[in-house]
Amino acid sequence: MPLDFRRFNGPEDSVSYTRFTQDFLKSYDELHNELINKSNLRKDGRALDEARSMFARTDMISQAKGSAYVELKKTKVVCSVFDPREIPHQNEFSQLGQIFCEVKFAPFSCSRQRRPAAPDAEDKSLSVALRQALEPAVCRHLFPNYQIDVFVYIIEHDGACLAAAINAAGLALADAAVPMYDIITASSIAIIGDKMFVDPTEEEEHVAMISPDSENVNHGIITMSMLSELKQVSDFIQIGSMDTDCVIKAMDILEKECAKLIPNIQQVLVMNVVQNIEQQKKLEEEAKEREAALNAKLEEWKTLLNAG
Amino acid sequence: MAGPLLSSTEKIFILHGVQNDYRSDGRSNIDYRPMELETDVVSHASGSARLRLANTDILVGVKTEIDVPKPDNPGKGKIEFFVDCSANATPEFEGRGGEQLANSISNMMQRAYHTSQAFNLKQLCIFEGKQCWKLYVDILILECGGNLCDAVSLAVKAALFNTRLPFVKAALMDGGNVDLQLSDDPYDSKQLDIGCAPLLVTLCKIGDKCVVDPSAEEESCSVISLVVGVTGNPKFYCTEDTTNILNVECKCSTIGMNGPGSVAPKTLKDAINQGIIAAKCLDEALGKALLRERQETIVMKKHSYGFLK
Amino acid sequence: MTGHVSIKLASERVNHCVAANNELPRFYTPGEVISGMQDFMRGHGTYTEDDCLKSSVAGVMQKVNKLICIRPLKSRYVGEIGDVVVGRVLEVQQRRWKIETNSRLDSVLQLSSVNLPGGELRRRSAEDEQMMRKHLQEGDLISAEVQSVFSDGSLSLHTRSLKYGKLVQGTLVKVFPSLIKRRKNHFHNLPCGISVIIGNNGYIWISPQQQDILLEDNKDEIQNYELQPVSRTDRETMARVKNCIAALVASKMMLDDTSIMFAFEESLKYDNVKDLLDPEAMLDIAFLAQHRINTVMED
Repeated sequence: MPLDFRRFNGPEDSVSYTRFTQDFLKSYDELHNELINKSNLRKDGRALDEARSMFARTDMISQAKGSAYVELKKTKVVCSVFDPREIPHQNEFSQLGQIFCEVKFAPFSCSRQRRPAAPDAEDKSLSVALRQALEPAVCRHLFPNYQIDVFVYIIEHDGACLAAAINAAGLALADAAVPMYDIITASSIAIIGDKMFVDPTEEEEHVAMISPDSENVNHGIITMSMLSELKQVSDFIQIGSMDTDCVIKAMDILEKECAKLIPNIQQVLVMNVVQNIEQQKKLEEEAKEREAALNAKLEEWKTLLNAG
Repeated sequence: MAGPLLSSTEKIFILHGVQNDYRSDGRSNIDYRPMELETDVVSHASGSARLRLANTDILVGVKTEIDVPKPDNPGKGKIEFFVDCSANATPEFEGRGGEQLANSISNMMQRAYHTSQAFNLKQLCIFEGKQCWKLYVDILILECGGNLCDAVSLAVKAALFNTRLPFVKAALMDGGNVDLQLSDDPYDSKQLDIGCAPLLVTLCKIGDKCVVDPSAEEESCSVISLVVGVTGNPKFYCTEDTTNILNVECKCSTIGMNGPGSVAPKTLKDAINQGIIAAKCLDEALGKALLRERQETIVMKKHSYGFLK
Repeated sequence: MTGHVSIKLASERVNHCVAANNELPRFYTPGEVISGMQDFMRGHGTYTEDDCLKSSVAGVMQKVNKLICIRPLKSRYVGEIGDVVVGRVLEVQQRRWKIETNSRLDSVLQLSSVNLPGGELRRRSAEDEQMMRKHLQEGDLISAEVQSVFSDGSLSLHTRSLKYGKLVQGTLVKVFPSLIKRRKNHFHNLPCGISVIIGNNGYIWISPQQQDILLEDNKDEIQNYELQPVSRTDRETMARVKNCIAALVASKMMLDDTSIMFAFEESLKYDNVKDLLDPEAMLDIAFLAQHRINTVMED
């Protein structure tokens, strides 16, 4: 990849110091065994099938049309959606609107290595996956020849970042009042052997991506995004190696996980509306008060004038 | 890519055909069109293959270089995929036109080859932590007639089957640097173990069923396609008695979706199963063809056909 | 359930050449002198230089009285008045449709040269203009006849006969226009129970045979009929005809109803229609069809 000389790129052949720590030298089995303790709990105290609780809010970025912030413990993602604009450099008319997605990692987002400033292959593939997930959800026929920009910035990455990005983007689109067929949610799962880690952390993802020495052991990560009301899968990404039964089992779990997120997101959206209405009410009341005060003043002046 | 324009009644005809499991050229939903394969077509590459599937024409060359392994994987080599969409294929690829397609295909291939159960990178190791082989798999799309992913994965597997790595005669440690001596006899080389290398199957959703190897007309009837990467079975690729080789189950090595639509979970599950069946057939046919070609080369000096037709 | 996959090697490639009994015509290449004399007229694919008539494309010579043309295999369609063509609507414009007919320029179908519902003798109203898209939409296929050729070579079509008009369910096969034999009739109901329209422009339309329900008043029924699934047997025959045409084209044989029918009959020895996709089977069929044509010609 060509270097971006406008930025300070740092020494090229440097290695992260973690290489020389004890953790790095651990073998696969050690890493594997560490993930679960004796009482079948994960490192952060969750059960295998327990997702991290999601914190989400909108209106993170005041200048964007819609924006959202999603936090899954240490995974933190910001997303902003901007007004539709005419597709630049396009000479053909397109019946359907387009969605432009860009996913970017903060340079300090990952624990293992520093992220380069220019988008690398992983950023690009995440952007493609995000667009794939969002496209079926948005009523694209309503803005022909226009494109909606969706920007996602991953501030901290601790696993399941694509799922978090999709959730944030869905929320931001809803916040921007872009017409959508359904709320879009996503969830991810890491598979190591016969264990399935719902909503994995970065450490679990890392182990899931290493191929075990013994043959025929399932391992890998699946991310799935769903339009739960319509019962449609809008994106499905699997990587690793697993047999069909395992994929199908994981799919059922993910379907449920995606559905579980819906009330959470609905609540955020409803709360938004409620807040807006309250704010509007408050403003209206204030306006009324002001008007009443002015009217009173006017009367006073009138009586004064009449008296004069 | 925008497909050919079709009238609504033509689309209905295709749709009913898919539902009937009888397509407009007589194929069922999991039949492929006949393919043509030739390996060892490029003299300057370590391995190469050319595959023609209907109007899709793929040329793959494998170049080998020596590299330093990654610090977190000292015992493993490297493999990288590059796709080039030549403007010869369609004028749409001119300039940066084909870049997006090229990226998505190379991404898909990289993901499919990620797991060691699909392609074991340990066989590319020369000197643990110091030197390893790096395979550059360059994929050239000469003609584009739909169903690119499948054709690319078949051609890549054939090219890797054809790839030969020279033997390392000696490795001397010289003050921290490694000095390698390679054998310069072209026949003194080893082949790669690619039995498990994955094949991609594209399943195009038309109506509520999926078809493999869609024609351009069928592609334009569909809004979403599913790409399933399935690991191969080594028993199709060896000439020896196959009984002592473990029968490896086919596994999914990657799954992805393409296109603006969405699918119901049930359809997705069916499609994955369908993809695995199709991949098994592909794998068997590819193995047979490759072994047949190897046999021919042994019996008589192989006559290279190349691009003359 | 198992799929059918066949991977051939390059060494097993078949040569699709089928020898016809008549000897090969003289071929010309670009720049080659055709004739030195000036009393010939310059047609398509030729140019004059230094009092010589030279070929500008690679192909065979065609001589009509004094006009000399060189026809290449892969030429686009050059229309002639009265030709039957199959075309696809590209655009709906003011009072006309733009039709793609594989010729150099897009063809035109005027609103005044179609039969509108409600009989022949009817004034065209402004309403008709607004209803144009209801009649023919972008992407629709039509069969039509060439009414006239404009000075720039683009064609004006008409569909003022019941046999012309919109095509509904079926498949389109595109071949080189130079492989189409000019015949009196280009609409054929083949004895195998399907109909083909062999357009002069190289577009061949294969469809199940129409039942005669195309009366003016039962419009809904026609609409329904258009959407009815085609039966499995029709579908099989259509696929067989399609693959036979592909086999004939691969061997560069001229297409008309006889050659298609011969190929179809020869193909019946292959039970499975998909077996006809195999290059060897294609060659076999083309060879046998050519053989039958030769014997017919000798008689």
